[in-house]
Amino acid sequence: MITNRQYSNVKNGLALVTVLFLTLACPIVNHAIEAFPKSRGLINDFANVISPQYEQKLAEVTGELLRKTDVPVVVVTMPDIGGEDYNEYANRLYAAWGIGKKGEDRGVLIFVTLKERKMRIETGYGIEGLIPDGLAGEIRDQYIIPYLKRNQFGEGLLNGTLAIASIIAKDADVSLTGQVPVKRPPKRRSGLSALVTIFLLLLIFFSMGRRRGGLWPLLLLLFMGRGFGYGGGYGRGGFGGSFGGFGGGFGGFGGGLSGGGGAGGGF
Amino acid sequence: MTQGQKTTLIVIGIVLLVILIPFGYLKGTYNSLVRMDEGIKGAWAQVENQLQRRYDLIPNYVETVKGYAKHEKEVFLKVTQARSKVAGAGAISEKIAANNQLSSALARLLVVVERYPDLKANANFIRLQDELAGTENRISVERRRFNEAVKVFNIKIRSFPTNFIAGMFGFEKATFFEVPKEKQEVPKVKF
Repeated sequence: MITNRQYSNVKNGLALVTVLFLTLACPIVNHAIEAFPKSRGLINDFANVISPQYEQKLAEVTGELLRKTDVPVVVVTMPDIGGEDYNEYANRLYAAWGIGKKGEDRGVLIFVTLKERKMRIETGYGIEGLIPDGLAGEIRDQYIIPYLKRNQFGEGLLNGTLAIASIIAKDADVSLTGQVPVKRPPKRRSGLSALVTIFLLLLIFFSMGRRRGGLWPLLLLLFMGRGFGYGGGYGRGGFGGSFGGFGGGFGGFGGGLSGGGGAGGGF
Repeated sequence: MTQGQKTTLIVIGIVLLVILIPFGYLKGTYNSLVRMDEGIKGAWAQVENQLQRRYDLIPNYVETVKGYAKHEKEVFLKVTQARSKVAGAGAISEKIAANNQLSSALARLLVVVERYPDLKANANFIRLQDELAGTENRISVERRRFNEAVKVFNIKIRSFPTNFIAGMFGFEKATFFEVPKEKQEVPKVKF
């Protein structure tokens, strides 16, 4: 028979093991999260250089294209990127937002930075075949840069977006009408990842165990022992969100990637 | 539940733990190392795809430039030589070295191109130039991703206590794709 004192020693020991365990189970924190702005939807005029009419038109064209072809064409203007290489910045931003569906990677990012006076068309992996770099360069030179040079950002971006949208629409065998997109109720995504949820649950279990002194710590440990496959994965995030219509908020993109395809240049 | 039953349960639990914890830990760590190792291989394959793409693009590009800049024989020769070295490279480190050399030869060619306005106005050339610039950009993107994967892996296998497991199963540090400092800025294509 075990005495009360011994029993409490066992309990303390278990608590210690639990703490050690939680320390071990902590996933390695990935490299610093880049300070990209949060996406507002398909049109992200962070530099405030697109007039409301053009912004409206851009939203209509890209919204319709997304509904009909599932390909997001995302427009971003930045006031300043701190002198970073614009090609790399655009590529990282593409990955951070995860434009297009994961695995399919069909999406396009049209990126402009004001202070550096640079622009880039970044094509997702899935669009590289449809819009090769040479074609992206042509669109840049003929449809976009002439306007950007005169600071007509709305005109240039709409022109370029229309050119890209028509290529994608033609490939998907749909026609664009320029119709106003229908508002759909926003889909919410759960904010917490599974890992965080489990971690929190365990913490709750653990604190319950402390108070009641029952078998909770033990259950917790058994649970952890089984769930140990988690350590150290570093996949790309990505959440299967979809658009919630432009009035109602933005559910995010689908975790798509680009590999540096497209074309960029100064204006 | 009596005190005795509780104790029995705890003892069973501890015995199970003594078996489950080390096994769970070993399994988790080993599997994550395997996953990362495969991730690095995948990332390298992507780098090689893009290097190959550049390799394939060069003859066409050089031919187009030759049409306008016949006298620049030396530059063309350097590019051709560097390109054939890339073809002959076997090990990853050889491939990296050969491709770095090709990058610097191409950079010199791009400087030459700047001197021929007629060439720069040629529609065919503009397209090729975009393809080449895009390929260079792709190489740098995939190289960055490869290096990031290598970094995470190397940190992991050198950290305590993973280093024991890495040593036990013979996981070795992966090599970075490093670009020599002075060559990092090439080839910047101006428009």
